[in-house]
Amino acid sequence: MPLIVIAEDEFLIADLLTIILEDAGYEVASASHGRAALALVRDKRPALVITDYMMPLMTGLELAQAMRADGDLAHIPVILVSGAQGSIGRAHPDVFEAVLDKPYNEKKLLETVSRLLS
Amino acid sequence: MHELPRLSTGIPRLNIILGGGLVEGASYIVQGQPGAGKTIFSNQVAFAKASRGGKVLYVTLLAETHDRLFQALGTLDFFDRTQLGVSIFYVSVFQTLREEGLSAVVSLIRQEIARQGATLLVFDGLLNASDRGDTTLDVKTFVAEVQSQAAFAGCTVLFLTSTRFAEDSPEHTMVDGVIELHNELVGVRTVRRLQVKKSRGSASLGGYHQFEITAAGLVAYPRLEAILSTEAIEDRSGAKRIASGTAGFDAMLGGALPESSVTLVFGPSGCGKTSLGLNFLNQASAEEPALHFGFYETPSRLLKKARALGVDLETPVNLGFLEVIYNPMTENLLDKLGHRLLDAIRSRGVKRLLIDGLGGFERAAVHPSRLVEFFAALTNEVRALGVTTIATWELRDLFGPTVTAPGSEISSLLDNLVMLRHVELGSRYKRTISVLKVRDSGYEPVIHELEFGSKGLSVTSALEPVTGATTGVATAIVPETDA
Repeated sequence: MPLIVIAEDEFLIADLLTIILEDAGYEVASASHGRAALALVRDKRPALVITDYMMPLMTGLELAQAMRADGDLAHIPVILVSGAQGSIGRAHPDVFEAVLDKPYNEKKLLETVSRLLS
Repeated sequence: MHELPRLSTGIPRLNIILGGGLVEGASYIVQGQPGAGKTIFSNQVAFAKASRGGKVLYVTLLAETHDRLFQALGTLDFFDRTQLGVSIFYVSVFQTLREEGLSAVVSLIRQEIARQGATLLVFDGLLNASDRGDTTLDVKTFVAEVQSQAAFAGCTVLFLTSTRFAEDSPEHTMVDGVIELHNELVGVRTVRRLQVKKSRGSASLGGYHQFEITAAGLVAYPRLEAILSTEAIEDRSGAKRIASGTAGFDAMLGGALPESSVTLVFGPSGCGKTSLGLNFLNQASAEEPALHFGFYETPSRLLKKARALGVDLETPVNLGFLEVIYNPMTENLLDKLGHRLLDAIRSRGVKRLLIDGLGGFERAAVHPSRLVEFFAALTNEVRALGVTTIATWELRDLFGPTVTAPGSEISSLLDNLVMLRHVELGSRYKRTISVLKVRDSGYEPVIHELEFGSKGLSVTSALEPVTGATTGVATAIVPETDA
């Protein structure tokens, strides 16, 4: 099954996302800040990245920009899921394939993931 | 004297309590039980900082998600969603703590302060850090490292914790300040209060200070007697007299009310105290703006009452010469009332003030033992502001030998004492007025009758010779006749 990397500093949200995605049949790996997530992406080469915006050491935007700047990672779709920074994400359609607002809508999340992986 | 640079808290009057605000680059513990207001306190400081162009790093070790926090903060005026991720950065280090320990959290915070250019760090969850610390030394080291790294970057730190650190705890001794928030149950009501328990480099106001959490966030009310403990303005009471507006009363006072004096008018219900005050307010003008600070009548009821008494208050209200502030006799806070009154006086340069009545303050006092000091501070300040004041005080007994005026200590703080009474005489009730004291001035020591006419209350003739008039039950003195 496709591997999805989650970049999320809030463990409750990271755990919940992991459960939702694993229940849907995906493989999941998570990192608690942007820099760790970038290392994980480089190591695992996932099919998709779901990232928060506000995280220690590297924001979701910086993570996505770093991936786009890396030829080996630039093709990996990135979803920004954010409670308050959705507008920042929408201002950067070049780095985010999708922007979802919190609170989570599980159905919409899984539809978006499925669409981007198809 | 070298003044330390300050960080304004954005919490009304808290800067005064802190002796000028938080010290920039200093570290503080903000402690209190859950629900005490720590999170609102710190976020208000954070958004105030952000609104002035500063950068804030808000680090949490809490199980609560940031979205739930934002949802709760969204009900408060200071919360500005556009600052999130731009000027205020919320990050959770819970996983870092769980997986890598306190030293990794310290390292992460150091990097984040530098990356964000933060000048304010809020660390919410020192209790959790304490739990994770293997020894007391670990937490002490953690606090020391975070604050030294923050200070190096010129970053002020707020450590929030539900733990009540002992005053001799390492954490307490290491930080520059400790602010404690309480939610105290007094009878059936709760009263919020804060205390600056430690304030290195600042002359903070000691003791408890009440605060509220409103839609605007925290609003602090420094204890009036603490904030006004020194006479800031010279007492301007002088020889000038201010007309009372009640015909005949000025003559009894030896020539109107002394300017900048405080007059207590006391008597039972219905004897004319408020009417005397309304006459006083009716004299409001552009030169002598007036304020009605009352507890019993809404502004509309007050104007209606004045109209019924033949006193026109609508004209001075419409002209802006008179303001009516109504404080319902519900769950008031003593210092909130005091600050509200002084703010209203200062904002309009009020010169005529009617407090109707002092009992409203008494009822608001959670600790009645401080009323003397409170009234001393309040009356000193209104005198210093050049305000001539009439305050009413309702006697509990309509008739009787006992006159329950405010305590003797409070009465001594007042310049002039005027007593109104109903007097029963020959199966008739008469309203009477007598002057018991005018500070540093002569007055007429004669009981007079009061009458309500088409132009309101007025002082008329001296009461006929009786005994017992001050008890309310008088006996006519029958002239001796030659046998």
